[in-house]
Amino acid sequence: MPSVCFYFQVHQPFRLRNYSFFDIGRSHYYEDDTKNREIMDKVSEKCYLPTNRKMLDLIRRHNGNFRISYSISGTALEQFALYRPDVLQSFIDLANTGCVEFLSETYSHSLSFIYSKPEFVRQVQKHSEVIKKYFGQEPKVFRNTELIYNNELASFIEGMGYKGIICEGVDRLLNGRTPNFIYRPVNNINVKLLLKNHRLSDDIAFRFSDKNWKEWPLTVDKFKNWVFDIAGNGETINLFMDYETFGEHQWESTGIFNFLDHLPGEILSHPDFNFKTPSEVIDAYPARDVYDAHNFTSWADTERDLSAWLSNSMQHESAKRIFSIESDIKSCNDPELLNVWERLQTSDHFYYMCTKFWSDGDVHKYFSPYDSPYEAYMYFMNSFSDLECILKNKLKKTKVKQKPKAPQEEPSVLAAVLES
Amino acid sequence: MRNDLPKVLMLGWEFPPIINGGLGVACHDLSSAMSEMANITMIVPKTSPDFKMRNMNLVGINNIDPAFFNSFPSNYRKPFPFGLHMVSSDINPYYSETSTFGIEGAHSFVNSKGQLNGFSIDSLYGGDVIGKVMHYAEITSQLAKNIDFDVIHAHDWMTMIAGMKIKEETGKPLVMHIHSLEVDRSGPENKGWVYQLEKTGMESADLLVPVSNFTANIITKYYGISKNKIQVVHNGSVPVKTFKSKRPFKEKTVLFVGRLTRQKGPEKFLDIAARVLEKDPDVRFVMAGVGDYFRPVLEKSSYKSIGNRFHLTGFLNQEKLHYLFSVSDVYCMPSVSEPFGLSAIEAAQFGIPCVISKQSGVAEVLNGSLMFDFWDDNKAAGHILNLLHDKTLRKKVVEDASINLQNISWKISAEKIMNAYSSNQFITTK
Repeated sequence: MPSVCFYFQVHQPFRLRNYSFFDIGRSHYYEDDTKNREIMDKVSEKCYLPTNRKMLDLIRRHNGNFRISYSISGTALEQFALYRPDVLQSFIDLANTGCVEFLSETYSHSLSFIYSKPEFVRQVQKHSEVIKKYFGQEPKVFRNTELIYNNELASFIEGMGYKGIICEGVDRLLNGRTPNFIYRPVNNINVKLLLKNHRLSDDIAFRFSDKNWKEWPLTVDKFKNWVFDIAGNGETINLFMDYETFGEHQWESTGIFNFLDHLPGEILSHPDFNFKTPSEVIDAYPARDVYDAHNFTSWADTERDLSAWLSNSMQHESAKRIFSIESDIKSCNDPELLNVWERLQTSDHFYYMCTKFWSDGDVHKYFSPYDSPYEAYMYFMNSFSDLECILKNKLKKTKVKQKPKAPQEEPSVLAAVLES
Repeated sequence: MRNDLPKVLMLGWEFPPIINGGLGVACHDLSSAMSEMANITMIVPKTSPDFKMRNMNLVGINNIDPAFFNSFPSNYRKPFPFGLHMVSSDINPYYSETSTFGIEGAHSFVNSKGQLNGFSIDSLYGGDVIGKVMHYAEITSQLAKNIDFDVIHAHDWMTMIAGMKIKEETGKPLVMHIHSLEVDRSGPENKGWVYQLEKTGMESADLLVPVSNFTANIITKYYGISKNKIQVVHNGSVPVKTFKSKRPFKEKTVLFVGRLTRQKGPEKFLDIAARVLEKDPDVRFVMAGVGDYFRPVLEKSSYKSIGNRFHLTGFLNQEKLHYLFSVSDVYCMPSVSEPFGLSAIEAAQFGIPCVISKQSGVAEVLNGSLMFDFWDDNKAAGHILNLLHDKTLRKKVVEDASINLQNISWKISAEKIMNAYSSNQFITTK
């Protein structure tokens, strides 16, 4: 009995303002509050509120047989609390139905797994705490920033006690196999992998309103049959996408809400098909084969690798710099400073600096609040320079206050996690 | 106007407040100083109607009464001298942010009735700049018929055709002031349209006044023009109100000001910065200006992994620029080929020690500075590090520069030009 598994990504970064060289040392506020509030308001009205209403309605209409999951980044949750408590409440209402699962991710939607395992663990734990606080769930399934994944991550996440990971079903790794089964990583690691069915997912997320697509317009009938075609050769159809697909990337006028309204009923009309959340899929089906991701993969761009965030020198330089001050930041024991640093880790900052100008360039441009990747880099580095100045001053003061201690080994969170 | 003074017809292109680089500033400051010694009529393509100059007749073609253009007889058509032909084209000798790309089409300076058109100009160097240059020549030569003057004094290639045309029509001596050459801007390999025009123009001039010996050498070496009709007159400077500001951060600051184009060596500045930072990480490098090297330089700074110490500010107004001078510790000018380099003088006025390339005119007058060949970033980095760490050296360089500054003034430059006029018998001294 195959299941349809929906997972929606909800994320908003704290975008930086046009922080110039002349601000360094003078202003320690890097974010563009006006723009962040504006975007949050816009997306709330166009997507979060109407879609959440629709989801609640669908769950009730189908008596709990329509089941979905979300991953909401910590920065998005902070902005809900700050600007749109009504949206936060509507997610809490969804959580209360018992039909919605919340997944685990890094708090600031960061690239920390690539640069620092201790920071990664800290952020994942911080995120889990805030999910528990708002939604009363302990996440059991992990999804990394933009589905960044490799074998190492699988083994690390298993060590942290998760039972499943959400990742992209990359064609070159599937090598002709279907993404519609549960897979397991190499080397006898038992954490289960849910692979995104990128064809069906992107039919909704990207191609839905594309008039040049030969299948346009996409009807529920057509889509339903594509899903039903999988019967006999698959156990889980993983439809993973940005939540902003509904109403924001695909405007209401494209008919996306109507599509969403009818899809669950049509799927459930087939006696063999049902909806499950990621945890339920993992409990229901065994892993059927091995998925070997030696290199990093992701769900971004046509490359499905790290190149959206880490391909040009500006991205490498800025990302390397921000993680280079980790131990100094942490030695200050200043929660506010830690927050600032954490927000600067948000992967979107590096995404805006991307200079790949193919069809993916358009997508980058669509999301970027700046005129060019070069500007994005300059504002980021200027902000970073200021943070570095603050940090230097702080360290100097604490050094004067405290007697120099013998150099301590950094407590290895990584080792602790792997031991347990 | 005093009748006993010699009369000079000046042909300029940039003029405050509409300026792109050093040329507009130099033209303004020089003509102001000369206006004490001569009656000057300055014709430029564009002025702001509110902008007035004391003791000087400033004509902006954009402000000329349309009746002037209607006074031309129908079927008006004057051939250009020297076998010049109009061909529609699109070049951009100076980088300009506002320049439009794509061919605008040549300016039509004669209307359907055969009368001369008015001069409409959006940007001085954008679009069909050659058309603008020809049109300027046409109008200026008509205006010159009603002006009484002893000498024609043209500034750079944009006004050369006008100068040649007026010389041919009036027989008055032609002086060409050389602030910058195509060889500086595009390198000696580039012998395009502008180079040819400069060569023809300088050949037909009676006297050339380059702003430095460095430029005089380029004129003889790359344009094959005899030394005998060259007289170097260095640029002057206008005293500015200088001040010091407290840096909002701890790191010492090294400054670059200029267009980010090949000529100014922006990539050299980056290489120098990387060398300095190897030895001393507590230095910031700031580049003020825009140009086609902006993005490559920014990317290269990240590639060299000095992104947190290397800052680009983009275009700055004078207030911000002066602020930058007031917080900087060293000024660095790594120009590949710099006829003069007024910004170094400005830095010196702010009491900042300068590290400048030997391939510049300012190196001839600012002995109180440390010099290097533009390709030698090791040496430049060494100079910068020494100035940042050796207080005695720093003090000495700044002191020497302040002595040099006493001998750099537009009044001195103006006097030299007037002397050149009379020693060449363009004017009679009373």
